[in-house]
Amino acid sequence: MSRDDSDVNRRTYLKYVGGTAATVGLAGCSDDGGDGSDGSDGSDVNDGSDGEDGSDGEDEEELPEPETREEHLRRANLRLNERAPWIYLNRQYSVYGIASRLDWTARRDERIEAQAISVTEGEPSVTITQSSMDSGLDPHDHRETPTDNIVVQAHDGVLGRNADGDIIDALATDYERLEEGRVRFEIRDGVTFHNGDELQPSDIAYSVNRVVDGEVGIESPQRDQLAGVTGAEVVDGGVEVTSDGINPIVFSLFASYCKVVQQDWIESRESSEINSDMNGTGPFQVVEYEQDVQIVYESYEDYWGDAPEIDELTIRAASESSTRVSQLLAGETDLIVNVPPQEVSRVRDEDTTEVAAVPSTRVVFNAMRYDVEPFSSVEFRQALNYAIDLDSIIENILQGFADPTGQPTLEGFVGYNEEVDPYPQDVEQAEQLVEDSGHAGAEITLETPVGRYLRDVEIAQAVANQIDELSNVSCEVEQRDFASLAGEVTSGELENMPHFYLLGWGNTTFDASQTIIPLLTSDGALSSYREDEEVDELMSESQNLPGEN
Amino acid sequence: MALGRFLLKRGIQGVLVVWGVVTAVFLLRFITPGDPVTFVAPLDASAELRAQIAAELGLDQPLYVQYADYIVGLLQGDMGYSYLRGTEASTIVLARVPATVELAVAATVVAVVIAIPLGVISATRRRDPADYGATLFSLVGISTPNFWLGIMLILVLSVQLDIFPTSRRPIGFFETFAFLVTVENGFAAPMNVGAFLDGLRTWLWHIALPAVTLGTYFTALVTRLTRSGMIEELGQPYVRAARAKGLPESLIQYKHALQNTLIPIVTVLGLQLGTLIGGAVITEAVFAWPGLGTLVIDSINVRDWPLIQGSLIVIGTGFVLINIFVDALYAYLNPRVVH
Repeated sequence: MSRDDSDVNRRTYLKYVGGTAATVGLAGCSDDGGDGSDGSDGSDVNDGSDGEDGSDGEDEEELPEPETREEHLRRANLRLNERAPWIYLNRQYSVYGIASRLDWTARRDERIEAQAISVTEGEPSVTITQSSMDSGLDPHDHRETPTDNIVVQAHDGVLGRNADGDIIDALATDYERLEEGRVRFEIRDGVTFHNGDELQPSDIAYSVNRVVDGEVGIESPQRDQLAGVTGAEVVDGGVEVTSDGINPIVFSLFASYCKVVQQDWIESRESSEINSDMNGTGPFQVVEYEQDVQIVYESYEDYWGDAPEIDELTIRAASESSTRVSQLLAGETDLIVNVPPQEVSRVRDEDTTEVAAVPSTRVVFNAMRYDVEPFSSVEFRQALNYAIDLDSIIENILQGFADPTGQPTLEGFVGYNEEVDPYPQDVEQAEQLVEDSGHAGAEITLETPVGRYLRDVEIAQAVANQIDELSNVSCEVEQRDFASLAGEVTSGELENMPHFYLLGWGNTTFDASQTIIPLLTSDGALSSYREDEEVDELMSESQNLPGEN
Repeated sequence: MALGRFLLKRGIQGVLVVWGVVTAVFLLRFITPGDPVTFVAPLDASAELRAQIAAELGLDQPLYVQYADYIVGLLQGDMGYSYLRGTEASTIVLARVPATVELAVAATVVAVVIAIPLGVISATRRRDPADYGATLFSLVGISTPNFWLGIMLILVLSVQLDIFPTSRRPIGFFETFAFLVTVENGFAAPMNVGAFLDGLRTWLWHIALPAVTLGTYFTALVTRLTRSGMIEELGQPYVRAARAKGLPESLIQYKHALQNTLIPIVTVLGLQLGTLIGGAVITEAVFAWPGLGTLVIDSINVRDWPLIQGSLIVIGTGFVLINIFVDALYAYLNPRVVH
């Protein structure tokens, strides 16, 4: 234990310092400019475990206190890398197939906003084929990306994001923090809903309340997406939103979530009507909706923003990826989602189609329950991370359409610690750590959903095989139905959760807190790791510090 | 009269079967892992909120209360509301029925039209190249997985040769007839025969590949059944007597031998048609065909029980109705079964 702690503390110090003021001084030690594939990036990790006995106590005291919110998040990520509550796997890519006649840049948040599509050749109409249709058109009563993609064409948010994920104005033209727990949005004038009625600030307040307050209309499954927000009201022509505590990422939340609806329109309709039509302020209005089959939009002439370049938009679904690819190759559709790695060459090799791939906001990992043996041992958890050849999984199973991760937060997110590298594969080190943990001979089972995430079963099998190759651990895979696995993970009761499971987590707020808090803190609704006071403290403090967003 | 009693008896049995299906599916809810609240509640939902949502969905009631509510609702045509979609389950389920029935019937038609002549030719020209060809076709058809055949047909006939569309069902068979019976301002509008034919052509072009994919296994099976049945019948004494009387061979084969062969084939056709209504999941997925099979699978994945139950009730009812129809046909072909 002490050997490992000292390793951790030395790395902690080096990386923290390396990531802040002393970057230049220490950069030469670790920065080879590479991606770590040759193992050199991670060499300081291994070196650190060799000859530092006796120096651990001092290093721990040398750690400077984080001050800003971002420093807190970076420190939490570092800590989580070292304590290894997960086997860190990969960041998924969103891979699209598009007709060459389209000009479009894929977004990082997995959403397809058709307004950003332009047509360089042929009719100004575009067809998008995704893996499934919507689960109803109520913008506040769903939680899946396919429904999001259908809703965002017709509904705007208070704020928005550009393709890189930066926050931009939408129905709010200005926003500011008034005091702790209260922010204000100034609402854009001259915006109309598709039925011709003018947008009122009260519609925005109603939309916020409909999401966060079960007493207003529905019990929205999106409530956690506006985490901390308690309500909204109209004050002097603007909308003021209240939160529990400072809520440092409140603007970030509104940039990703909470589509605006018209209060009168919603309140005068039955649920089934709200789920089969849309009346938003977005760039496209619905002209035909056939449940489970297709939705057709036309551009909305009175749209407040730049008019869309396409006149007609159709969204359909085909659950089978090979069918989507065939539709694209046959010219029956213009844009398809989730092109699996094995189909990429079919799209690339054709003159009329191309592939667009972008790192998504989804991280795939193997969670380990901190309270059950052998996963209660930090050494054992680290050993499993050292056992994995992540580069090989990415290259051979995901055909390069993924990035390796070594922390829960993805690159480009607020709080990402760029000094933390993925664990390198080191079988000897892994076996030694297993011995040190006292769990040599452990038999473990990795539970994985089937078909929920890109090549999830194949990834799980590769992970299990690589762990199984250790001389002192055996590992097998158990394939699970996602519904029952998810039910256990989201039950809120730790004892119901599987011991060792594969999961993916999408976080479109681009902020570390929205991954770490729910998944890796003691109060996290889906947390398998509830023992780390340091992480709890760092996250708690970070949520009480103002952020850029 | 005897036939009427026979059908009435079968009808009552059918109602009992559907009730059995409803009950079995209902009981399955309670032994299947996975809670629908997981997919409806926010991720950070407290235990209280989960309980509240469960109460709103009626999941907090004792089993017998839920069951009684469901049966009472069902008798009034109410299958409940989809947990996730917020719309009536019956609307969603019934919207899928036409696509499923069309595909099942089209696959059966493909099978019958190809398999029966092929089986007869194979039986009457034993050890001819035609017989070997038909036998080989049957073997390949039975051995070919649906999903592979579907994908291959799309790749060759749609993507490469551009003859058929790859997938989808842009128009339903009965929707095409709307062009013939349009009503405007309370008056019958002129029939738009051109649009009707266009619609029919579109429908036919889109259903061709799924029907062939789904029907291939079936075709192969019926070919083999027809062949073996015909061979057996052609060896019967009445055939020898007919030949001795000097009846034309085609009359012996198609009128007498084939009619007797059809009895087991009709049984298999009926059973298979029922299976196709509930079991075309793979073909539906490959061709993005919006049928009941994919609805059941999608609903199971999110534990949307009203949709699962509604779909299975419709599938079960379809199965029962087809079997009653087959029994009636069987009684017609072989009146002894009535007695």
